[in-house]
Amino acid sequence: MDTSNPAVLVNGDLLRSYVGRRVRTVVQVVRPDAGGLTGRSTDEKQIVVKGQMPAPLTTFVEVIGVADSAQSIHAEIVTNFGDTFDTSNFNQLCQLANGDFRHLFI
Amino acid sequence: MMFSESQFDGGSQIASSPATAAANRDTFGLVPLTIKQISEASHSGDDKSNFNVSGADVVNVSVVGMVFNIVERNTDVTFSLDDGTGKLDCKRWLNEPFDRLQMEEIREGIYVHVDGHLKSFKGEKHVAVFSVRPVTNFDEITFHFIACIHHHARTSKVQKIQGDGENINSTPKTPIQNGTSGFVSTLSSQHSVPFNLDGVKGVDQLVLSYLQNPANLANEKGINTDELSQKLKLPSNKIMESIRTLEEEGVIYSTIDEFHYKAVGSS
Repeated sequence: MDTSNPAVLVNGDLLRSYVGRRVRTVVQVVRPDAGGLTGRSTDEKQIVVKGQMPAPLTTFVEVIGVADSAQSIHAEIVTNFGDTFDTSNFNQLCQLANGDFRHLFI
Repeated sequence: MMFSESQFDGGSQIASSPATAAANRDTFGLVPLTIKQISEASHSGDDKSNFNVSGADVVNVSVVGMVFNIVERNTDVTFSLDDGTGKLDCKRWLNEPFDRLQMEEIREGIYVHVDGHLKSFKGEKHVAVFSVRPVTNFDEITFHFIACIHHHARTSKVQKIQGDGENINSTPKTPIQNGTSGFVSTLSSQHSVPFNLDGVKGVDQLVLSYLQNPANLANEKGINTDELSQKLKLPSNKIMESIRTLEEEGVIYSTIDEFHYKAVGSS
């Protein structure tokens, strides 16, 4: 059992509160970049992801990594989440997981 | 007990005493949990094989996370599960051909849904897995975490309600408290979450309150179940379910026949 290195569930807005910490989020791929991709968070903010990408990319990807600024993540793991994903549910989950129910997660 | 056990469907064994009934309800059902919650689970009571998470007993758990460190042996497969809140060791015994077949689909780095029995060994918790399947629709991950929150909110709310001085308990183990949270765990294991949980507990309270009404308590013959159905404006099957639950908890009993009930005692 090891809960020493959790990844905080974040959306675009929450990312700025966790700069320097390990985070996880789901973004919609806007375009691939050199060295990563640009994505749109579930609350419509832009997030730049740097790191190794799976190929080919699906519409949605999950990014787990360290937040290196309020708008970017240095990815450890990027996972294809398919072409359909409920962004509003995920967005609400981020708010709950960082709000009243934070103690269940981190 | 007026109701014979053959009248109950749904596979759960109904014991004849309130304490055992409560224990049976607690041990059924798959509880969705985050690995952080599992790490904080304490042993419940004297029974070292049961765990307690936020006040409710837990035996079987449901976890969703990424698979790492798969080690395949002849008799078992072990792997580590990371759900973002923590890492958990899992062991799948390969008893049946089905077990091997299921494990063939499991590869490093994929998201899986794990159902298993929570166990402790030398102070470390792990899960004895009875089912692992890959996640194909990733909304399942969002759903699982929401289900964890939902279960937690439910059991905490039940604890709070029971703590607010319900004078129903006639046995030391407060069977209703464990009973209803066990009920919650069972229902929340289905992925088509029935959102009428409040309704079920509510109906029990309504029936009991009606029967505990002083005028009704004084009625030797007991209250007819049709009367309950009419007065509470609830369908008879819901009334009968509540009757069964309340009867098992030992707070009501049947009088002249199985359609007449009376609440216990003059509290």
